[in-house]
Amino acid sequence: MTIKVDRVKEYEALLDIYEREGLDTSLFGDRIAAIIISGEGIIGLNNVPGVEITGEEMENGVRADVRIADGVELPFPIHLCTGYLKSEGYQRVEFNIVVGKNSRVKFTSHCIFPYAKDFTHEAISRITVGENSSVLYDDEHVHGEGVRMISKTEVEVGKGGRYTGRFSLTKHRARKLKLEMTAKLADRAIAELTSKVKAVKDDSVEIREVLRLEGAHSRGDLKSTVIAFDEARVNVVNEAYGLGDYAKGHVECHEIVKGEADVQTVPLLRVRNDKAELTHEASIGRINEAQLVQLMAKGLTEEEAAELIIKGLLGE
Amino acid sequence: MLCLRNVRYSRDGRTILRSINMTFREGMSYSILGPNGAGKSTIARVLMGELKPTEGQVLLDGKDLTGLGVTERAKLGISMTWQEPARYEGIRIREYLTLGGKLKVDEDEIRDALELVGLPYELYVNRLIDKTLSGGERKRIELASLLLLKPRYAILDEPDSGLDITAGELIERLLDRFRKTGTTVILITHHEEIAGKTDFAYFVCAGRLVKKGFSREVVEYYRKTCGRCLFVEGSP
Repeated sequence: MTIKVDRVKEYEALLDIYEREGLDTSLFGDRIAAIIISGEGIIGLNNVPGVEITGEEMENGVRADVRIADGVELPFPIHLCTGYLKSEGYQRVEFNIVVGKNSRVKFTSHCIFPYAKDFTHEAISRITVGENSSVLYDDEHVHGEGVRMISKTEVEVGKGGRYTGRFSLTKHRARKLKLEMTAKLADRAIAELTSKVKAVKDDSVEIREVLRLEGAHSRGDLKSTVIAFDEARVNVVNEAYGLGDYAKGHVECHEIVKGEADVQTVPLLRVRNDKAELTHEASIGRINEAQLVQLMAKGLTEEEAAELIIKGLLGE
Repeated sequence: MLCLRNVRYSRDGRTILRSINMTFREGMSYSILGPNGAGKSTIARVLMGELKPTEGQVLLDGKDLTGLGVTERAKLGISMTWQEPARYEGIRIREYLTLGGKLKVDEDEIRDALELVGLPYELYVNRLIDKTLSGGERKRIELASLLLLKPRYAILDEPDSGLDITAGELIERLLDRFRKTGTTVILITHHEEIAGKTDFAYFVCAGRLVKKGFSREVVEYYRKTCGRCLFVEGSP
């Protein structure tokens, strides 16, 4: 790992936060391909055979290219760490990720803004998954009380490729979150987009997931789970388009509401091919009564039962 | 001793249970036998506190439980498995069986409970208790959960439905284990061969108690009448 000499302190501060939050500090090791961003600077960079990460600093942020060669299989994830250690400001990061053919890679992306009080983070990602390649992209967040976050991810999955995107913001405040994920699938491509968010107090969450099943025999799943407490406002839009022959898509949205939270979900399923098939499943409202009662019959209070159910839903 | 005293239950103007009287003594096993729609599951849910009777009382050792909710009754030692066990996302079987760590049991006990209900420990303990499990597997986990809880009263609502041909043997193993732990079993079923495995039985039909007694007598009567309510004993 190449670390910028004048920014070692920031690097160490990020490591401390990883430790405190129970995140995997081994991701900072030499065997891991990584880019470590703090504020508007790249403070650490490491490449491994088959992975080339380059970056440039721009006003208020960083633009990075990640190229994975053909036929690469990595035993460790590629680490994308975006930190902002000040309490106020604006940061924009742009990732352009291109995965070649027949590769299997995993990305672990961490957004670390623990002290944010009045901070805006904008993340724009374009991901291209080559033919017969498989990509798993885990996106985890450590947020302070005041983060406004706008995240847009566009994924193109080539023939026979597979993309799994998992976004999670469950342990810290969402505050103001605008999340948009779009996946466009070629023939026999597969995509799974999952988002899990907990919104509390006056948090405002907007999620839009789009699945474009363009290729023949393409398959996709959109799944969002939101827990909304207090006066949180949540709007989830799941769109799926069945365009290719024998394309198959499923949209699932589960939202649990407690207190005065205001939650809405809008599924949009559109088929323009009589051989395509889309399905939809949604639940919105309080925790399922049967789930609660059956745990209470084992001696848990309603609150304890709800806590266990929510913990499971959020994958904590 | 757990009792239902003159319990009536109505919903939406329809009477589902009519003056039900039942007694469940410590350490014994009981079946509540009857055809579909007889009100058997409603009795179970009234006992557990999920439903409040319109009239009558639920008594435990002479104390009125009628006003108590599900959790309070569970804390007094009444527990239940449902006909259709719920599924949960993101919860692994070990976590479920230990109620997220609140139930202090060791790994050997978990292994024993899972294997008694026919689920190999290694294959199941880390699995998610979600849609990937079949109905039969889910039911077996529920039964394992009760084995670990060791309640004073275990209400099993249709424990055999959705299970394969080994269901009869499983029920026998469960009854045997519960007998050893001193747990009173209240088993809801519409299968007379399952009911015949308990010490005593109640035959209910159309919300009425039709017959009570040793299970072999009640089962014989049930067979003769093909489960129809030809005779009403102890109910208006």
